[in-house]
Amino acid sequence: MSEAVLAETPVFSVNGLWKVFGPKADRIPADPELTALDPADLRARTGCTAAVRDVSFDVRKGEVFVVMGLSGSGKSTLVRCLTRLIEPTAGTLAIDGEDVRAMDKPRLRELRRHRAAMVFQHFGLLPHRTVLDNVAYGLEIQGLGKAERRARAAEVVAKVGLEGMEQRRPSQLSGGQRQRVGLARALAVDPEVLLFDEPFSALDPLIRRDMQEEVVRLHREEGRTMVFITHDLSEALKLGDRIALMRDGKVVQLGTPEEIVGSPADDYVREFVRDVPREQVLTVRTAMRTPTDGDAVTGPAVAPDATVSEAIEAVARAGEPARVVDEGRCLGVVDADGLLGVVAGTAKEAV
Amino acid sequence: MAAITVFSPRTLPAVLKHRAVHKLGLLALAAAVLVPLANARWTGGAWPDALTVDLTKPLTEASTWIVDNRDTHPLFLYFFGHVSNAIVLAVRAVYLVLLAAGWAGVTALGALVAWRVAGLRLALGTVAAFLTCGWLGMWVPTMQTLALMVVAVAASVVVGALLGLAGGLSDRLNRALRPVLDTMQVLPAYAYLLPVVLVFGMGVPAAVLATVVYAAPPMARLTALGLRGADKEVLEAVRSLGATARQGLLTARIPLARKELLLGLNQTIMMALSMAVIASVIGAGGLGDRVYQALASVDVGAALAAGIPIVLLAVVLDRVTGAAGNGSTSAEPRRTGWLYALVAALAIAVAGRLMGRLDWPDAWTVRIAEPVNRAVDWMTAHLYSGVPVIGGTADWAAHFTTWVLNPLRDGLTWLPWWSVLLLVAALAWLIGTWQTALTAVLVMAAIGVLGVWTPALDTLSQVLAAVAVTLVIGFATGIAAARSDRLERALRPVLDVFQTMPQFVYLIPVVALFGVGRAPAVAAAVVYALPAVVRITTQGLRQVDAAAMESSSSLGATSWQQLRQVQLPLARPALLLAVNQGVVLVLAVVIIGGLVGGGALGYDVVFGLAQGDLATGLVAGAAIVCLGLMLDRVTQPTERRTKKGA
Ligand SMILES: Nc1ncnc2c1ncn2[C@@H]1O[C@H](COP(=O)(O)OP(=O)(O)O)[C@@H](O)[C@H]1O
Ligand SMILES: [Mg+2]
Repeated sequence: MSEAVLAETPVFSVNGLWKVFGPKADRIPADPELTALDPADLRARTGCTAAVRDVSFDVRKGEVFVVMGLSGSGKSTLVRCLTRLIEPTAGTLAIDGEDVRAMDKPRLRELRRHRAAMVFQHFGLLPHRTVLDNVAYGLEIQGLGKAERRARAAEVVAKVGLEGMEQRRPSQLSGGQRQRVGLARALAVDPEVLLFDEPFSALDPLIRRDMQEEVVRLHREEGRTMVFITHDLSEALKLGDRIALMRDGKVVQLGTPEEIVGSPADDYVREFVRDVPREQVLTVRTAMRTPTDGDAVTGPAVAPDATVSEAIEAVARAGEPARVVDEGRCLGVVDADGLLGVVAGTAKEAV
Repeated sequence: MAAITVFSPRTLPAVLKHRAVHKLGLLALAAAVLVPLANARWTGGAWPDALTVDLTKPLTEASTWIVDNRDTHPLFLYFFGHVSNAIVLAVRAVYLVLLAAGWAGVTALGALVAWRVAGLRLALGTVAAFLTCGWLGMWVPTMQTLALMVVAVAASVVVGALLGLAGGLSDRLNRALRPVLDTMQVLPAYAYLLPVVLVFGMGVPAAVLATVVYAAPPMARLTALGLRGADKEVLEAVRSLGATARQGLLTARIPLARKELLLGLNQTIMMALSMAVIASVIGAGGLGDRVYQALASVDVGAALAAGIPIVLLAVVLDRVTGAAGNGSTSAEPRRTGWLYALVAALAIAVAGRLMGRLDWPDAWTVRIAEPVNRAVDWMTAHLYSGVPVIGGTADWAAHFTTWVLNPLRDGLTWLPWWSVLLLVAALAWLIGTWQTALTAVLVMAAIGVLGVWTPALDTLSQVLAAVAVTLVIGFATGIAAARSDRLERALRPVLDVFQTMPQFVYLIPVVALFGVGRAPAVAAAVVYALPAVVRITTQGLRQVDAAAMESSSSLGATSWQQLRQVQLPLARPALLLAVNQGVVLVLAVVIIGGLVGGGALGYDVVFGLAQGDLATGLVAGAAIVCLGLMLDRVTQPTERRTKKGA
């Protein structure tokens, strides 16, 4: 993503967002004494659960923004707050610069109908409808005629690879196919942003990989903005342009996969990313050093955002250090020592 | 590890005993203080006169006032009058349509509906059932009952669905409705008759309204249940797509509740049939009236001729609506099928008309009344008494009355009134909570206050005897069926049929076998309640955790040990539910037994209706309600559990 994109208004702009469940939840975000308590104490004192605590982030246009955390860390609550399926307790929330919390009911419905569509962990399909009518459901809600919505639904069904299954019912599909229907239903309304709440957690590992690739493909083809919730670190690293790592309702670190793995913000994150194969996440920038006179200009060229493991392959094949080249300009050099240091985790942590 | 699984059930009663001792101690303490006080003021065993309130006068006055003002007071002119007229008109209209369609048209329509909804076999069954009705010479009464049913079911479904919708959408309304509907579910049908008669007088409007009041609650309950039970994530998905509340209701919540709605329809139809038949005592006409008249003159043959169509109607209606609930969900491809079916039915009706064959031809009927009565006469002569060794059925009934019912009734009436209250409190508290115990004691005391303590205890004695017999036979059969797949398979169709039959019908065979009196009433109650008890017991035992069973057999337990130590303790909730259901069902029929000489409260109601002495009938009706509540609470294992299960 280039600077031009960064300058645009973010799709979602979240600032100081709170969601507290329980009696008289409103008072909690405002009371510094209560906000200082940890979750167990807060529950004991007030009977309330703060599922989302003072969360701020922007979702940029066209990016895949991943929210990751263990079960119970508040991810589902957070993503539901974005379209006010759950009413936030405090904070500001804007979509394309428009205040979501100030929207009245018709405006909010408009937002849900056209601008943000969601894919659910357990699919949330209507069992009494066929695949085609499930996919067309969002369009039906918008008031489209039967013929038109079915025609559009049929296109989307084909796009997610479910041709020939239009007349089946959800109960006749496998888990992976059901989630394709869920995905198609969200795509059919052509939303500006797709929200996923752990969409693949209920699927078998092989199917899950297929579905992840499906999402990568869709993103590559359409460039649609996505907010993707997961508890699976490898999924987060695979899909995310940027990742927000949540713990107990707070965002403990927000950054690119490389930043999260390369420079964990605290011990919790470090523990989280400990087993990640670093060479597959970190880029050669981490292992790069400035070229010295002694370096040959003959080494293989690698792009700056190539992963370390790609560089290792290039260096090993050529038998000499590789040059990091961006638009014809040589930024630096990576050699076997530097690359090894990254893999071993002994290199200084990148910024 | 296995040992823990096996023996944990045995530790449960120990804990229970501990708590039970606690409760009984408290109760004994309260009794020690209160009983001497009560005894000092009001001596004697029966309910003290000083504590009764005589409602006869005000009730008589009220009923006289209503009778006097029925044609003049604006409330009647502008509200009840319209309701009454609308009902009469609607029933009349449906009846005329049914007659105009002719027997061929009605049979064809019934068969085609059954065919569309439930398939060919049930369609053939429907045809056979309708033809049998005509063949028995009961075509016209069957149509009268059907007309009343159609109107009553339609009204019940509308009322029930609206209430259910309210309860399903609003938590507050649900909390308010729930206990009312739960309570209505346990009250005997008879309790509903008198209040409607008081307002509307005897006749079709009263019968329809009583039926609606009786049949609407299951629809309301199941509608609310279905709407509340919808998958949360589906609803969230619907909301996330920007659906309005109305869209969500129409496209998701109601379709998702389809199964419950159809089950509600099924239960409403079955209860409506049951009540439409009973309501013959308040002027419903039709098949029930034929049975009622025949029973009044102990004409078993005529009762049977009208009873068989009732049973056939019940079975057909239950199977067809039940099949609708289990069927697959596709709606669209079937539309054309429905169209063909309707056209075919219409064609047959028109054909029947053109051939001048609207009424069932007399030549095609058989009079079964006479041969049946001859058979009954033969039975009376040969089986009633004096059969060598085993005695006769009338002897049995007499013995049962002398050796069981009389001592039980005398014992209950001999007991000081406060000790009955104490017993009720102890039982209710042991099984339930202090709230249930308090309700039970209060409603029992209300019976005394109403001044019908003695007849109520008479009814209670019949209920207790019937429940005891039902439970002995029911548990034995249930255990046997749980242990033998063959037996269960053989029993299932029998139970299915028995569970669908209206209460009234059970009186016919017992009168044939045992004559009239209290014993036949008890017998009818036993037969009516047995299927439910057997079924619940079997299911409860079969659902016992397979792991616990396996671990106990791996320890080498004999099957008897397994039953006693694992299955029965683990099935305890189901067994308690069986007791509760048994009690509720028995009471309903014991009350109806007033028609065949059961006496007590049931007789008071019938007497009140027959003599126009509504005060007596109303008091008896109120006492029945109290008795029903008391028996339900006394057998209701911790309210919370039953609520969840329902
Ligand atoms: N409706 C609710 N009422 C009360 N507490 C809730 C509710 N929904 C979620 N929570 C609590 O909020 C916390 C975060 O839940 P959730 O957002 O579902 O986490 P995640 O999706 O990360 O597993 C949990 O502690 C959960 O118990
Ligand atoms: Mg979640």
